Amino acid sequence: MARYGMVFDLKRCIGCNACVVGCKQENSLPDGVFFTRTLSQEYGVYPTVNRVYIPTLCNHCEDAPCQKVCPSGATYTRPDGIVMVDPEKCIGCGSCAVACPYDQRTELKAESFKAGLFGTGEVTPFEKQGYVRFTPGMVTKCDFCSGRVDAGLDPACVVTCPTDARIFGDLDDPNSKASRLIRERGGRQPLPEKNTRPKVYYID
Amino acid sequence: MAANPKAVHNSIKPGRWVRSTCKMCLHSCTNLIHVTEDGIINTVEGDPTNPSNRGKLCPKGNSAIMRHYDPNRFKQPLKRTNPEKGPNVDPKWQPISWDEAFDIVAGKLKEALADDPRRIIPSLEDFQKMNIWVWPLAFGNFNFFQSGGTMCGGAYHPVNGYIHSAFAAANDAKYCNFWVNDGTGDGFSSHLHAAAQSYWVANARVDRGMKCVTVEPRLSISGAKSEEWVPIRPATDRHFALSLCHVMVSERWCDFAFLRRDTNAPYLVGPDGYFVRNAAGKVYVWDETVGQAKLWDDPTLGKLALEGSYTVEGKACKPAFQRFRDILAECSPEAMEKITTVPAATVRRLAKQLYDAAEIARDSKIEIDGRILPLRPAAYNYYRGAQGHKLGFQTNHAFKMVNFLLGNIDAPGGHMGVTLDDQWVEHGHIEPGENGMIKPTPHQLGPVPPFSWPPQTFHLMDYFPVGVHPPHLNLEVFMNPEKYGLEFRPDTMVVCHSNPLWAMQGPREKWFEFMRSMKFIVVSDIIPTETTQWADVILPSHDVFESWNMTMIEPPHTEGMCMRQPAVPPLYDTKSEEEIFTELADRLGVLDSYNQVLNFALGFVNKPELMLQPGIRYTDKEIARRKGLLWNGQDLDWYMEHGHAVTERRNDKWYRPWEGLRLHFYIEDMLKQRDDLRAKMDAAGVPYRDTWAWDDYQPLPTTRLDPVHEEPPEYDLYGIFFKDIQLNFGESLSNPWIQDIVYRDPVHIAFMLNPQTAAKKGLKATDILKVESPYGRIYGRLGLSEGWHPDTLGVSNSLSRAKGKLGGVKHAGGHFNDLLPYDLRNTDGVTGQPETVCKLRITRLDDWPQFLKDGGSVYDLVDEIALPGKGRKH
Ligand code: SF4
Ligand code: SF4
Ligand code: SF4
Repeated sequence: MARYGMVFDLKRCIGCNACVVGCKQENSLPDGVFFTRTLSQEYGVYPTVNRVYIPTLCNHCEDAPCQKVCPSGATYTRPDGIVMVDPEKCIGCGSCAVACPYDQRTELKAESFKAGLFGTGEVTPFEKQGYVRFTPGMVTKCDFCSGRVDAGLDPACVVTCPTDARIFGDLDDPNSKASRLIRERGGRQPLPEKNTRPKVYYID
Repeated sequence: MAANPKAVHNSIKPGRWVRSTCKMCLHSCTNLIHVTEDGIINTVEGDPTNPSNRGKLCPKGNSAIMRHYDPNRFKQPLKRTNPEKGPNVDPKWQPISWDEAFDIVAGKLKEALADDPRRIIPSLEDFQKMNIWVWPLAFGNFNFFQSGGTMCGGAYHPVNGYIHSAFAAANDAKYCNFWVNDGTGDGFSSHLHAAAQSYWVANARVDRGMKCVTVEPRLSISGAKSEEWVPIRPATDRHFALSLCHVMVSERWCDFAFLRRDTNAPYLVGPDGYFVRNAAGKVYVWDETVGQAKLWDDPTLGKLALEGSYTVEGKACKPAFQRFRDILAECSPEAMEKITTVPAATVRRLAKQLYDAAEIARDSKIEIDGRILPLRPAAYNYYRGAQGHKLGFQTNHAFKMVNFLLGNIDAPGGHMGVTLDDQWVEHGHIEPGENGMIKPTPHQLGPVPPFSWPPQTFHLMDYFPVGVHPPHLNLEVFMNPEKYGLEFRPDTMVVCHSNPLWAMQGPREKWFEFMRSMKFIVVSDIIPTETTQWADVILPSHDVFESWNMTMIEPPHTEGMCMRQPAVPPLYDTKSEEEIFTELADRLGVLDSYNQVLNFALGFVNKPELMLQPGIRYTDKEIARRKGLLWNGQDLDWYMEHGHAVTERRNDKWYRPWEGLRLHFYIEDMLKQRDDLRAKMDAAGVPYRDTWAWDDYQPLPTTRLDPVHEEPPEYDLYGIFFKDIQLNFGESLSNPWIQDIVYRDPVHIAFMLNPQTAAKKGLKATDILKVESPYGRIYGRLGLSEGWHPDTLGVSNSLSRAKGKLGGVKHAGGHFNDLLPYDLRNTDGVTGQPETVCKLRITRLDDWPQFLKDGGSVYDLVDEIALPGKGRKH
């Protein structure tokens, strides 16, 4: 069984947000909801200043605090390591959102489904065909496009990234591109001190 | 792809995939469109078979669905019932039938046409459909009211036409090892095929270790990803390039062999600036080996002189290269630093890095397809920000000069000419010109009007013989028609996928007057814009998922046609642009001449069996089919299966396609064009000929300052505007997904200033500012970033929309374009390129002006989603 994870190549990422929009498209996310974001951080003082673009998503932690605190069992981990949220079981308590040290949990407010993406109260056919997957009030997050992964495809954000800054793969396979990059370029996990054992690595 | 009936992810729901082409910018990444069993488009992905974008799309390309399902789309033809027009006036649209719409529009156009065709002013900006762009030529109309051209590359395109005989230019990411980006986001965020080019460049950077340097007043994405950001004062990039040239020439860090063999740098120039010719018109060079003048094609030529002074045919003369050296004498990095603020030491180091990286000293070679070519893997790339100045022609030429000295023009790893549309596979873009040089092709966008007095065009294109149309001059002439001798007034406007009221420089208030002077305005578009609100009739067109097209649009590393086909039937009662404009042509009685214009513009004349015939109205599908056939002989079924005919650029056309000819290092044609125009103006007695910008015509770039530097001293800052990949080309901000990313990005939600400068002025982040130039004013909130040159205030294009009641976008306190001049003083006399930098003064306000407090501004949105402390999500 694979153990899926993602590597972000900070040298490649140009902060274009194609991944962010591609994710909204693939997952029919309501306005203001993100499963992945690309942050930017400026550092230094003029003229020796720079900015880094940092893609983020759910880290699919091996010791996922969100899962530990979930009272309903809605949050679970698949055998391939993808941390999932079951919309049927989620009671919308928000414990996971408090527990996640990475701010990766979002509550889907009932209003956002009604306003529509254009805020006109008109819900487009695109939204209608997509929103059926959600239960309003549930607290959700990225699932590595689990359905695509089951079909042998990479997550949508990975496929569209113009610079190939997102590398998805089996971390247990030493020959996967992801494992190789982590090894060769010294992959680092986000907030290791939280002991969540993220399956997301950054290289630069 | 595997379909799963229970899938929650859109791309794997049951459905079908359709191959097509993106149109969220003017370029043409090909895509795959997923249509569900219920006929809903739920995914657009990049097409992995296209060697250009290879399955990738930029954020705009990923957001196309939101354009298709925009509830604000025009759903049927509309007629205005409110005679009052204004930016916030409801047109009170009344739905009408297509028949009625065509009757009204054709009636108004016919009336104008019968009286004076020049009364029609077109604004036709669909860059993927040049067949619509050229529509006015069917009745000999050269008026022009669209921004494409001067607000992108008014001077850029003509100079590329002179140097490469091509439309655009790019560094060769395949082999380049040292890439300078000046005032452009090529390879990172904008300009040519952003989604594709950022892939090519990321691979070069990460896999091959290509080094990048970005010269720009702001720390752009390109700057952030480069090894070095070189902050520069706006509108001084030419001086920076000349200082690099100074060092390269004085240190002998140049590819002299290239200059001697492949350029006109050794041609002898007389005191009048023209080449020295014999009686038969042949140009002289100086043969250093034997110390005598010879004709350029003399078979006994030894080593050609690039330097020195000579006397030939009784004339004192110098090689063109020496003339450039003479100019460079005053361009030391120390002298230029006073203008550019770039430290002299930085310039000297960069000159050496460029020279070393170009592998000139060891004269590196590479074999490609059996040809041994010079390998010159260092190049200077530039675009809008760097080139958009009053002295645009000279500025572009100065950047080319760095590349000339590196010997990298069209060389592997170097600076390449990028054609717009090759039309058919074998079509080469180089033709021999006079005296062994390539034929310059400054008019990359088709024919321009001949000289005429009184002028035949409202924007004075009659007097820009090598230019791209200067649309801002419509306003200058509108304000002073007598001064310019205009015998007509345009009053009937035809618009298609163009938004001049957003894109044009000069104050909105004056442009509104211009719009009010129109008796009739017809607009064909898909969603409301600043311009559609002024229309009398709206002719709604299909969108990109509902129509056919075939296009090749300046792809840097690839060539070939990209097909668009309908993925779904039209959602509404719309028509293709072809149907609309051929119907109008037919009703105006110019269908045959339109078809003939298309035969030339689309290249059908080159394969007579494809030529459009008189009397036939051709559909979007048939035009697409013929363009595909012209490209590679394949019919539509082949394209429907393959989606595109894109391959990597053929090496024989990409690398040194002019082999055996010489390039225009020295652009003598500037003098010919100047003298020719002058003679015509003199003969016609054009009253303003003595004040025409004759000095702008220079065969070599000079250090003359652009007039923006001479504004009154109280304007103590420079103003620039910028886009990033989320906003690259064209309208994006009515798209909720683009809004969702743009208004969370700190650089797109405030006027950006360096903290040092803010501190000096007693300003802090989030202060409300009034920003004034000598031409206009805008309002906004202050943002601080160390990534800004201290002399510069930056305004994102996201803050430059003018809200209308039906506009679909939010007002942001005024438009940067309001701050820019629209006059001749700030227009390049050669190309019509206007200045796009301004001088500014800023004042802190205690509160927003009332019109912004009335609600609905960008800042309300920003406060809600992105302001620190207010639930910032990004
Ligand atoms: S698509 Fe790729 S390059 Fe663009 S922001 Fe996302 S990770 Fe970065
Ligand atoms: S990143 Fe947050 S949401 Fe994702 S698995 Fe870890 S704790 Fe849970
Ligand atoms: S670069 Fe242009 S053509 Fe390519 S995906 Fe983006 S918007 Fe579409």
